[in-house]
Amino acid sequence: AFPWFGLDIGGTLVKLIYFEPKDITAEEELEEVESLKSIRRYLTSHTAYGKTGIRDVHLELSDLTLWGRKGSLHFIRFPTHELPSFLQMGRDKHFSSLHTTLCATGGGAFKFEDDFRTMANLLLVKLDELDCLINGVLYVVSSGPSECYYFVNPTDPERCEQKAYNLESCPFPLLLVNIGSGVSILAVYSKDNYKRVTGTSLGGGTFLGLCCLLTGCSTFEEALAMASEGESTRVDKLVKDIYGGGYERFGLPGWAVASSFGNMMSKEKRDSVTKEDLARATLVTITNNIGSITRMCAHNENIERVVFVGNFLRVNTLSMKLLAYALDYWSKGQLKALFLRHEGYFGAVGALLELSNPS
Amino acid sequence: MALSGGTDRVSHSMDKSITLPPDEIFRNLENAKRFAIDIGGSLTKLAYYSTVQHKVAKVRSFDHSANVSLQETDGDHLYEISVQEEITARLHFIKFENAYIETCLDFIKDHLVNTETKVIKATGGGAYKFKDLIEKKLKLKVDKEDEMTCLIKGCNFVLKNIPHEAFVYAKHADSEFRFQNTHPDIFPYLLVNIGSGVSIIKVESEDRFERIGGSSIGGGTFWGLGALLTKTKRFDELLNLASKGHHTNVDMLVKDIYGGAYGSLGLTGDLIASSFGKSATTNKEFSKEDMAKSLLHMISNDIGQLACLYAKLHNLNRVYFGGFFIRGHPVTMHTITYSINFFTKGEVQALFLRHEGYLGAIGAFLKGAEEDNPNQYSWGENYAGSSGLMSVSPEMNPVQRARSGTFDMLEMDRLERQLVNLPLLQDPSSYIPDTVDLSEDALAREYWLYCFEEALDGVVKRAVASQRDQPEAVERAEKFRQKYCHKLQTLRHQPFAYGSLTVRSLLDTREHCLNEFNFPDPYSKIKQKENDMALKYYQKVVRSVEELNWEQRQFTLVKGLLAGNVFDWGAKAVSDVLESDPEFGFEQAKQQLQERPWLVDAYNQWIERLKGPPHKCALFFVDNSGIDIILGVFPFVRELLIRGTEVRQQYYWLGPRYMFY
Repeated sequence: AFPWFGLDIGGTLVKLIYFEPKDITAEEELEEVESLKSIRRYLTSHTAYGKTGIRDVHLELSDLTLWGRKGSLHFIRFPTHELPSFLQMGRDKHFSSLHTTLCATGGGAFKFEDDFRTMANLLLVKLDELDCLINGVLYVVSSGPSECYYFVNPTDPERCEQKAYNLESCPFPLLLVNIGSGVSILAVYSKDNYKRVTGTSLGGGTFLGLCCLLTGCSTFEEALAMASEGESTRVDKLVKDIYGGGYERFGLPGWAVASSFGNMMSKEKRDSVTKEDLARATLVTITNNIGSITRMCAHNENIERVVFVGNFLRVNTLSMKLLAYALDYWSKGQLKALFLRHEGYFGAVGALLELSNPS
Repeated sequence: MALSGGTDRVSHSMDKSITLPPDEIFRNLENAKRFAIDIGGSLTKLAYYSTVQHKVAKVRSFDHSANVSLQETDGDHLYEISVQEEITARLHFIKFENAYIETCLDFIKDHLVNTETKVIKATGGGAYKFKDLIEKKLKLKVDKEDEMTCLIKGCNFVLKNIPHEAFVYAKHADSEFRFQNTHPDIFPYLLVNIGSGVSIIKVESEDRFERIGGSSIGGGTFWGLGALLTKTKRFDELLNLASKGHHTNVDMLVKDIYGGAYGSLGLTGDLIASSFGKSATTNKEFSKEDMAKSLLHMISNDIGQLACLYAKLHNLNRVYFGGFFIRGHPVTMHTITYSINFFTKGEVQALFLRHEGYLGAIGAFLKGAEEDNPNQYSWGENYAGSSGLMSVSPEMNPVQRARSGTFDMLEMDRLERQLVNLPLLQDPSSYIPDTVDLSEDALAREYWLYCFEEALDGVVKRAVASQRDQPEAVERAEKFRQKYCHKLQTLRHQPFAYGSLTVRSLLDTREHCLNEFNFPDPYSKIKQKENDMALKYYQKVVRSVEELNWEQRQFTLVKGLLAGNVFDWGAKAVSDVLESDPEFGFEQAKQQLQERPWLVDAYNQWIERLKGPPHKCALFFVDNSGIDIILGVFPFVRELLIRGTEVRQQYYWLGPRYMFY
């Protein structure tokens, strides 16, 4: 029964997928309960909700057929700390009276289960986030046009291009790196055969957290804007700063970072860098670290294709290009970095897909 | 002699003056040669090779080819002890802050007599910066050596030569430091060097090593980010802040996202999901301590994770950590240990090195000393001249603080013969010769420290008595007393200072201190007297034993073994007795034995076994002189020989690595 939602409650963001049926017959319309209609109208007529909710219109997947119904898939997000407002809204719109199943994944599905019940009288079907992630990826890759892409000449601004990659014909095996607040790295061998290889706590949450502390910014977009204007080499100590050039014996080029934030050991240098430089350095440090760990995992698991997802990469071409370059360079061309357009929404899609599951 | 800094100012932080007592810090400089220096970001390590002259007691036996019965040589000694001067090669390593470099160089130059040396090997990031200063002051040409090569050479050297060099750090255990046995084959291993950045090096053999990876998130990151976040300038202060902080206020944990654990993946609620993850969403200010702690965890976990990934890829399960980021800081060692343990699910343990700060200097030195081929010798730590591992924890006790962190030293003596493992050992790497570990057993530790302290007076007296003909013996003996006393005090507060603390190491320490002040063997005369006495009594013992019936004989022989064992030089009870009654009779000793059952009593099994066929071979671990061996062991051995058993005797020295005679 409508409405069809998929919810992914993460550490920092809540991702909400809404399936808007476009094939509603006149009869159906007549029978449609008021609350359902109002929800549908509210969601589809706005692109922003309250102060912090956003619908990523450019990601909308239209002309989709799901369980015999034609419609569009909408991608909505808002900060996890606004969840109470969301629940309040749910109550105001009498969402619970619709008696639909609400499939939810992510840590918040467990953490806020009680809140859903008490504040909005809603019962959640809790799903494992990694199961949902993989199902979501596989579904979107096969449904959306040119979902998967990679970079050619990532570090050359003149010649850099995005090229489509056909992942759906042969998706396995692949290394899936989900960069949210934290990072999870999964080795996926088939739809039902995957394992979480490892994770790291140096993720998107770290980038945002450190940036806020170092520069006084307060949103992800602000942090990224600052980073795009900064120069991290003023903050980091490079190989050439220590050795005068490269350290050939060990294959370390002079431009490689020897010590992130290493120049900040000196007071003089600390006083001379800008907030933008610090933001950039934070971005580069976190991104390169994820790249390193990913690379080692790929080698250990013997997998050559790495797909990066997660909202850390949202509007973050800087990080994507860095990852693309680093993976290629340090693996001497053996590994390939792939990206997906719907970045951080796959968990929610996977949750939505569970609606068809009779249990 | 106080020296003030030079008027040449290389940098404004260079002119610290300091008093350098001549025989305390830079020792044996007159004959010093083969210099090496490792200059890091803030610390300098200087190495040199020198010779030390000291007395050694040598034993020479007389010719007994003529038929002289033991009983008839009344009053004559059976062997002669002569004291000779011997030259020992000794390696000196001194660590001090860069600020004191100029002062130290001046001091060395003033005391250096030998002019053969033309070159000083140098390594470390600072070698470049101070090159001119060194060349000017010491009139030696600076020969730069690759940092990593020196590091690995140094690492191999300490792992092979210093017992209990590597240790595991366990914060919450009774004994924080668990020292590892020297493994006969140290290769291959992984060395993770955490300086400003991280280098991960795979070492396959003495000459084959490769930097297989690294990370830019290292000590420099901790220092840099830490300084930015907390406005703290000094590295040590940052660590101090970290040790007091709570990262859970700053980090986003699994339970912050899940409300509890992420059970299906086995991720407990307390795991950090996102470092600094709470910083974006809360408006409140974080304390410096909490941020420093978060930073420390973030960096340690990251390094640990990478190290594990590399270890896994290359199939290595020995991972050593070094570099200034570690530097013996308990808080860092704890976080790294935790990280490795987590990422390998307990399969691999993080190992640290007691002398990790010296690796570069040792390596640089070895590069310069290749002609002398130091690796063909065995080297032993000179406890008298080495500072020992100092815990740099904030709760440093007054004894250490007074001793200062300004200068730290390591001395290594070249041993006469190369040490090898006892060939009969089934598994040399797991063999532990000491039955009590005083670093773990606090009660036993207190007893033995007390024992040695109480016995000190007696030892001093004996030392003076053994060199009655030398006037300054009294003065030297007093210095010995002070030095050894100080060492005991250090060990009381830092039992882990020289690796595992055992009765053996306490004895060795005492011996080193005695040697320092030229008392090679204060007990030599007494031992000689004891041996003479015992040998004269030997025949009587053997004859009386032969008169007994078989069962009684076995029992008497066993009692003889036990009684002989009572004569232990260290034990206080025996010291007292020896002082008061030199004619202590062996018979009385046997009678003093407690009644059966003894504490460990396998006599019944022994006598049953003896009724069967003779043993093929027997191996005895014994002291090399004294009543216990002559009157206790020899008759017992004789009995076995009569039965047809082959007997071998192993002389006890230096623990699991024996000199095989």
